[in-house]
Amino acid sequence: WFSAFKSLVSNKQLTAADIAPVMEKMKDTLTSKNVAAEPAEKICESVAAKLDGKVIGSFSRVATIVKEAMRESLVQLLTPKRRVDILRDIKQAKSEKRPYVVVFCGVNGVGKSTNLAKITFWLNENNNRVLIAAGDTFRAGAVEQLRTHTRHLNNLHPNSVQLYEQGYGKDPAGLAASAIQIAIERQIDVVLVDTAGRMQDNEPLMRALSKLIRVNEPDLVLFVGEALVGNEAVDQLVKFNQALADHSDRDATPRLIDGIVLTKFDTIDDKVGAAVSMTYITGQPIVFVGTGQTYSDLKSLNVNAVVNSLLK
Amino acid sequence: MVLADLGRRIRTAIGKLGQATIINEDELNAMLKEVCGALIEADVNVKLVHQLRTNVKSALNFDEMTGGVNKRRVIHRTVFQELMKLVDPGVEPFQPVKGQPNVLMFVGLQGAGKTTTCTKLAYYYQKKGFKTCLICADTFRAGAFDQLKQNATKARIPFYGSYTEVDPVVIAAQGVEKFKEENFEVIIVDTSGRHKQEASLFEEMLQVSNAVHPNNVIFVIDASIGQACESQARAFHETVDVGSVIITKLDSHAKGGGALSAVAATHSPIIFIGTGEHVDDFEPFRVKPFVQKLLGMGDISGLVEK
Ligand SMILES: Nc1nc2c(ncn2[C@@H]2O[C@H](COP(=O)(O)OP(=O)(O)OP(=O)(O)O)[C@@H](O)[C@H]2O)c(=O)[nH]1
Ligand SMILES: Nc1nc2c(ncn2[C@@H]2O[C@H](COP(=O)(O)OP(=O)(O)OP(=O)(O)O)[C@@H](O)[C@H]2O)c(=O)[nH]1
Ligand SMILES: [Mg+2]
Ligand SMILES: [Mg+2]
Repeated sequence: WFSAFKSLVSNKQLTAADIAPVMEKMKDTLTSKNVAAEPAEKICESVAAKLDGKVIGSFSRVATIVKEAMRESLVQLLTPKRRVDILRDIKQAKSEKRPYVVVFCGVNGVGKSTNLAKITFWLNENNNRVLIAAGDTFRAGAVEQLRTHTRHLNNLHPNSVQLYEQGYGKDPAGLAASAIQIAIERQIDVVLVDTAGRMQDNEPLMRALSKLIRVNEPDLVLFVGEALVGNEAVDQLVKFNQALADHSDRDATPRLIDGIVLTKFDTIDDKVGAAVSMTYITGQPIVFVGTGQTYSDLKSLNVNAVVNSLLK
Repeated sequence: MVLADLGRRIRTAIGKLGQATIINEDELNAMLKEVCGALIEADVNVKLVHQLRTNVKSALNFDEMTGGVNKRRVIHRTVFQELMKLVDPGVEPFQPVKGQPNVLMFVGLQGAGKTTTCTKLAYYYQKKGFKTCLICADTFRAGAFDQLKQNATKARIPFYGSYTEVDPVVIAAQGVEKFKEENFEVIIVDTSGRHKQEASLFEEMLQVSNAVHPNNVIFVIDASIGQACESQARAFHETVDVGSVIITKLDSHAKGGGALSAVAATHSPIIFIGTGEHVDDFEPFRVKPFVQKLLGMGDISGLVEK
């Protein structure tokens, strides 16, 4: 009796042919959740390769096994390999008697300025004083937008935020340098540099951004990307990194994107795939998630929740 | 326009079919796989792509078709018609009428490009000889009024807005009334960015719409948007009666396929596209020449008419 039962649960080996149709469905699911085509394809390939030849119990369903392997891979991908601990690094910078400098960059309208303001609020809550550098000297209303935020933020935490601006048309790299100088003089803890939105193919604007970063050597370069973005996420990140690498000093190690701010996460329901696309391309952590338009709408990424949405 | 890249892939896929001497179901499937892959990579809504595949397949009955040439023609035409459906809702685009007020209300997701595009459209109509003006009914976003004011001033377009009034409905109503009295012909109302998940924001949009009775509601959408577009566009359409679509930021590398689902969801034509941050980076959009160009076809009349 016992041996009969045992033979019943005897094992079988997964073949590529078993996996392929399930994987095709899996890819469709990822795509419909807004994962870009290339990452979706590559992630499925690697999970399929991992499963090929695997021995499984004969009662196990291939679909379940694929799903679990996929879950594991996605969790691994989205879990940061390196932790960006801003508050700790600010303390370190303080002990070196210098401000901690962050540059925000990204394409047009993704939420750079708004999330810069939210991060200012979070820094204020943690007892850090902030100087905002109005480095978008191009877009109409960009300076007034930050001036308004500065006023609101000071109402919440008196004397905690200052704005450094030169109006419109000025060189952002020089503007940021002046801001950092002022922060040193006034012993302000953190400088947050806003920049104008730019398309990744716009060579002069990408060059200007690289210059700003090269000249000012910020502690952190944050790429701001919106969760709404589809396949374009891949091209944006590849080209922002490429531009930073191309225009860096020849002998210095290039400064690339250090982390991601994923915005408008409240607008996408379960179509959370942009988180996967962005981490897949950069290998960098999602440092903040923007979940609305008020100062407290700033969260950290909940990896398990994202993976659950993806596999639903 | 970068959408041409999509066209190239589709063209190649159909072209391959053209070279095969006998077309069987496998070949058709391979071609459809290629076409659908290109559409997915361009962010076209997954549901629309599946529908396109199904429609092409069901339109083609293999056994009934005779010669290879005929078959090819039918396939070609069917794919073309399905692609047309993605961009053409079959509705005539709204045209403002001279000598009377035409109120146009802009709506859309946060950061889509509404405020920038408002000025572009105002500038476009002003050049066409319309008496044109702008109203800023966004009291939420920091610096919104300054942004519109600076853009309008630069383009020499009269504008209305307030630093103190917090209710966008009041500003919109006052602005429209004022400009109507002054015999303006194209009155453009800019509104805050919003999304369907925030019910109060949609309620506000409805109230602005009820206050100004727009002749046309324009849904502005970013070319880089992915799969989330469809449900957002549908929700906007269900709340206010969207009548036109403008796709922005087509100067990027984005192919704009995600934004196309707004056409299906709102049953509205794309009337203009935005191709940069400057006021004249703006082009009228006409469906047929566009798809023609997309597919690299010369004269398509033979394909559309049966
Ligand atoms: N729903 C939602 N809206 C957001 C979020 N973050 C920013 N926004 C909105 O997105 C719009 C654009 O935000 P900005 O901060 O001006 O974007 P930007 O990247 O600085 O834009 P440019 O400087 O013009 O390139 C505004 O209406 C913001 O309120 C978010 O997390 N959720
Ligand atoms: N490259 C490019 N940028 C554009 C285009 N249209 C708008 N933008 C930019 O996109 C960003 C957002 O544009 P806005 O006009 O502020 O967007 P909005 O929809 O009014 O934003 P909210 O009012 O916050 O919802 C700005 O940086 C614009 O300059 C375009 O066609 N191409
Ligand atoms: Mg900004
Ligand atoms: Mg606006």
